[in-house]
Amino acid sequence: MKREKERGGTPVRGLLPLILLLGLWELTGDPASPYFPPPSTWVDGLRPLVDGDKLLPAIGQTALTFLLGLSIATVVGAVVGTLVGASRPIDRALSPSLEFLRALPAASLVPVAALVLGYTTQMKLVVVVLPATWPILLTCRTARRTLSPVLLDTPRTLGLSRWHRTTKILTPALTPAVLLGVRVAAPLALIITLLVEIVTRVDGLGAVLGAAQASFLSAQVYGLLTIAGVLGFLVNWVVTRAETAVSRRMRGTT
Amino acid sequence: MTPTISCDDLAVTLPGASGPVHILRGVTLAVEKAEFVSILGTSGSGKTTLLRVLGGLLPASGGTVRCDDTAISGPPEGVVTVFQDYAHSLLPWRTVRRNVALGIEARLPKSERDERVDEALTMVGLLDRAEEYPWRLSGGMQQRVQIARALATRPRVLLMDEPFGALDAMTKASLQDQLQQVQELTGTTIVFVTHDVEEAVYLSDRLVVLNGSPADIGLSLEIPLPRPRHQITTKERPDYLELRHRVYEALGHTVGEPARG
Ligand SMILES: Nc1ncnc2c1ncn2[C@@H]1O[C@H](COP(=O)(O)OP(=O)(O)OP(=O)(O)O)[C@@H](O)[C@H]1O
Ligand SMILES: [Mg+2]
Repeated sequence: MKREKERGGTPVRGLLPLILLLGLWELTGDPASPYFPPPSTWVDGLRPLVDGDKLLPAIGQTALTFLLGLSIATVVGAVVGTLVGASRPIDRALSPSLEFLRALPAASLVPVAALVLGYTTQMKLVVVVLPATWPILLTCRTARRTLSPVLLDTPRTLGLSRWHRTTKILTPALTPAVLLGVRVAAPLALIITLLVEIVTRVDGLGAVLGAAQASFLSAQVYGLLTIAGVLGFLVNWVVTRAETAVSRRMRGTT
Repeated sequence: MTPTISCDDLAVTLPGASGPVHILRGVTLAVEKAEFVSILGTSGSGKTTLLRVLGGLLPASGGTVRCDDTAISGPPEGVVTVFQDYAHSLLPWRTVRRNVALGIEARLPKSERDERVDEALTMVGLLDRAEEYPWRLSGGMQQRVQIARALATRPRVLLMDEPFGALDAMTKASLQDQLQQVQELTGTTIVFVTHDVEEAVYLSDRLVVLNGSPADIGLSLEIPLPRPRHQITTKERPDYLELRHRVYEALGHTVGEPARG
């Protein structure tokens, strides 16, 4: 019980300082300020987007890119990580390249991807998938490498088919590691989704945010920023809870 | 009689930190049907390695390994290994019942599967813990779950790697007797790795001692003690004591010299 609170976080009480800060801002802020409009003006700033039916589709686009990108990254990372971790020679041969690619800043991919794929949703996906794959791939590789040989021998001696060995032993044994990777990758994927949208103006919340900034609609910028923040917070909360719950069940620790 | 499981001039070489290590060389062993053979040896002598080769889990580097006259490539059907490292052999995300069902759930309908699981758990005295998770059980109980899982598949050959090493003397004695009963009932062939001399002599029809590096079979000894055996009376027999004496000698102990360390 105790650990759950620590790791999952209590959403409301933990946010108290932030809420206090916003309250202070509201009380002292000048509604006419071009840089720091107080929170009450943010809702008004968002109104044109809501009326023009632009806000929800934008959130939908961002969520779609994020979820699709994270899903692809999870599958690719888990499969490649497992394969690499299963073989010492392959692992040793690929490790330096993997470390290098991981260190490559995600933002630097945007120009290349835009050059090759144009300003499209595919381009957005590619830019999100690549960096989000690494944390999952690396945790999965390590977990596969350190898997007990006895655990792998067990289904063999009991005569399980290759398919059942994968679904009944390997997959559950590696799931906590995959989710650990997802926990790191999810916030990263969201940041990059927004970033690529801001930079390229291709659909989504980031594109709207970029446009608002270019038109000096500062109240709208803060409003959108708040929405992005809430999204990020929700994503983080969900993956953390999922990871904690599943790893406890799979690893069998209390 | 044709041997159930056998190896001839077996050699095993594994990669070590500084080049390949020769672990077994020239090991020849044939286990008859329904025979109980123990493999004894000091720690690191290659007992687990030999058992893994017999179970089809590790390919031989040289020589032949056969099960019923067919060369082994992978674990043969009906040959089940019980591992020394029980903690990593049980699946922590499955209950005891579902762990025991692992080897039969894809082959049997649910009713028959439940029956077999109950039967196997009864044999090791853990039926009342069936819905528990294995990590909530003691080490000895976990090992019994692993044994139950092997028994549930009704194996023809049971390869056991120090199965009772983690148990207290009383549980050990009672499981030894249960194992003898199971074998008597089912006619299972058992290859039993241990470093407990008393246990090996008490249980076996024959025992072999692995020694040297690379290891080979240093002593192969028939144990003609009458069956059924009994924990107290069998261990008081002069021929039991004589056999025990010979095994200790083969393991390098000498009479008249106090044990050191
Ligand atoms: N996967 C492996 N790779 C390389 N060497 C190994 C491997 N497994 C075991 N060995 C080596 O083989 C030798 C025999 O090991 P093995 O586990 O068969 O001994 P054992 O007789 O079962 O010992 P114990 O009684 O402690 O279980 C040891 O020297 C060990 O270091
Ligand atoms: Mg061993």
